[in-house]
Amino acid sequence: MSQTAANDNGAAALSAAETAFRQSLAGPMVANATVSALRAAGRAAFEATGLPGIRDEAWKYTNLRALARRAFAHGGPVPVPDDAAVESAAIGGLAGPRLVFVNGHYVAELSDLPTVSGLDIASLASLIQDPEAELPENLCRLADPGQHPFSALNQGLLEHGVLLRTHTGTVISDPVYLLFLSVPGAEPQTCHPRVFIDSAVDSSLSVLEHYVSLGSSQNLTNVVTELQLDRGSRLRHYRVQDEATTAFHVGGVFARVGRDARLESHNLHFGAALARLDLEVALNQPGAEVEMNGLYCLGGRQHVDNHTRVDHFAPHTRSTEDYRGVLNDRSRGVFNGKAIVHEDAQKIEAHQSNSNLLLSEQAEVDTKPELEIYADDVKCSHGATVGQLDQTALFYLRSRGIDAEAARALLTFAFAEAVVGRVELEPVRRRLETAVAGALPDRSLIENLIGADA
Amino acid sequence: MLSINNLQASVGGKQILNGLDLEVEAGQVHAIMGPNGSGKSTLANVLAGREGYEVTGGSVVYRDQDLLELAPEERAREGVFLAFQYPVEIPGVNNAYLLKAALNAQRKHRGEPELDAFEFLALVKDRMKLMGMDESFLNRGVNEGFSGGEKKRNEILQMAVLEPRLAVLDETDSGLDIDALRIVAGGVNSLRSADRAIVLVTHYQRLLDYIEPDFVHVLSGGRIVKTGDKDLALELESRGYDWTREAASA
Ligand SMILES: Nc1ncnc2c1ncn2[C@@H]1O[C@H](COP(=O)(O)OP(=O)(O)OP(=O)(O)O)[C@@H](O)[C@H]1O
Ligand SMILES: [Mg+2]
Repeated sequence: MSQTAANDNGAAALSAAETAFRQSLAGPMVANATVSALRAAGRAAFEATGLPGIRDEAWKYTNLRALARRAFAHGGPVPVPDDAAVESAAIGGLAGPRLVFVNGHYVAELSDLPTVSGLDIASLASLIQDPEAELPENLCRLADPGQHPFSALNQGLLEHGVLLRTHTGTVISDPVYLLFLSVPGAEPQTCHPRVFIDSAVDSSLSVLEHYVSLGSSQNLTNVVTELQLDRGSRLRHYRVQDEATTAFHVGGVFARVGRDARLESHNLHFGAALARLDLEVALNQPGAEVEMNGLYCLGGRQHVDNHTRVDHFAPHTRSTEDYRGVLNDRSRGVFNGKAIVHEDAQKIEAHQSNSNLLLSEQAEVDTKPELEIYADDVKCSHGATVGQLDQTALFYLRSRGIDAEAARALLTFAFAEAVVGRVELEPVRRRLETAVAGALPDRSLIENLIGADA
Repeated sequence: MLSINNLQASVGGKQILNGLDLEVEAGQVHAIMGPNGSGKSTLANVLAGREGYEVTGGSVVYRDQDLLELAPEERAREGVFLAFQYPVEIPGVNNAYLLKAALNAQRKHRGEPELDAFEFLALVKDRMKLMGMDESFLNRGVNEGFSGGEKKRNEILQMAVLEPRLAVLDETDSGLDIDALRIVAGGVNSLRSADRAIVLVTHYQRLLDYIEPDFVHVLSGGRIVKTGDKDLALELESRGYDWTREAASA
């Protein structure tokens, strides 16, 4: 039966990756019955569809051939990186707890977990072997395994990750830093961590998920994040994907936003040979709001695909989206942004924009903002642009004595800064600015710029 | 300082400048007037080195150098400044940053030490006061969301900070209210000196009440068709341009 499913996707036989995934899915049972049941459901969902192929509408522009060729190893021994390597990869200067994961595994020795009042932090791995452990009711319920094969796979292999829960009415000022290190082994590794954040009523929290490789890893990170925002809560979710340009990265962020709650999502990609991110936000109650900021800054032959979807299920909900791409060399970007305004979701606002800067003639982008509106009293806008640097602006800068290369770098930086500048965590913003600058020709000038507005 | 000889230039395949001659000495102020579309901005853009403006003949010598050989940024560093007729908005590039980068690029070129943040700020604040500009403009994107008049003022602020040797002001007076006009004129006058030259492109005689030119030229059909002193501007004001063309072709 599974064979047929694979054939439907055009593969003659199961790919090396899929064969390996299926073997991993058949792994041992765990003690916690809830986890076992979730795993079984994830496994069944994955086996029903297999890996997506380009005939799947949602994967039209992202070919998984390179990924599918690799038989990723799962669950091998966890390499222990030395402190210096970890610290140079990590973003320094952030107050608050830091949880470090190596190839998906939580590593306590590298982590720093001060008690934060009003916040519960638990490593998922420690709970699943405990038959008594109570898991969040909505764990694996915000991400639909039937819709997302990679989420199904992740759920089928549910083991590692973190659960965060705020207490009602607490404002947690220091961000929670989740550092996911991908470390190469003898063969490409895969990991399937899950992050579940429960923002309780009227609480406020910032979380940073940071994905980095140590060395030129060809690993596959397949992570799922679920965000539950209860009434009046506020969550700032930062996601920085800066893995090696040889790595594979698939992620899903699934959010449910309640009454008068506000999600701020920052999704920035610099790394990976191939990255795909699905961000889906359900605005479930009146007053729910989401702001989505995105940036992909690519070079070489990198391919990054962002699929975002907002469902306005309730009246008086609001979504804004600003995704930007800077594409150099032969890189390729894909943007698909959907906003769906459901029946009776009156008086909503949905604004969506995707702009792309192509720095080379070989760079490409496929962009498709989509609006589906089934209500009549709405304020919506959407648009996409693909272009080169503004020649008039270039000349203006040069006419003030700034040389052509530097002027180009400056304009590119400014373009990306519109997104990066919204990151409130200062050390993170600095790191992102450095990453943007690193992708540009005249780095020294930009470094000077980073210093200039301080 | 600037010697333009038989300059011919085309834009988008269309010949605009048709053998233009102009001599500007240090210490002088020249006003260029002329009908819409006669080529005034084309001249300004050719002097600044804008792409797409193709020089098809003639020469421009600036301080013993072939100006046309230089890249736009090199011209700027050599002291040529163009105040744009339509200043460009550059969101995300901070006004202060642009000023500092521009100033230091020139200083470096001249072998002078770059200004540090302190010295720079002191200088800019002083010039902003001169231009009657609020300091909040420093932290905004270059011309981003500026009103028409604010953009023009910002051009002159840049000029006042950069202290060019040759400033070409393309209709800096249009769009300014009466007070702003006086302020901008004050900014320009404060720059007047024996080793600088200013070329003003304008449609209005009124500006010349504030900035008294040594010469007034009429540019028409891509050439200078008439040159006089400040009284010529008054005469143009009352008689229009038609007669200058007739006089030129006669
Ligand atoms: N890219 C272009 N392609 C074709 N024609 C152009 C282009 N740019 C400018 N022109 C033409 O060149 C002529 C001269 O333009 P220019 O801007 O120099 O005039 P001007 O004297 O500055 O006019 P104004 O007083 O209105 O500012 C105009 O007829 C204009 O339409
Ligand atoms: Mg003009």
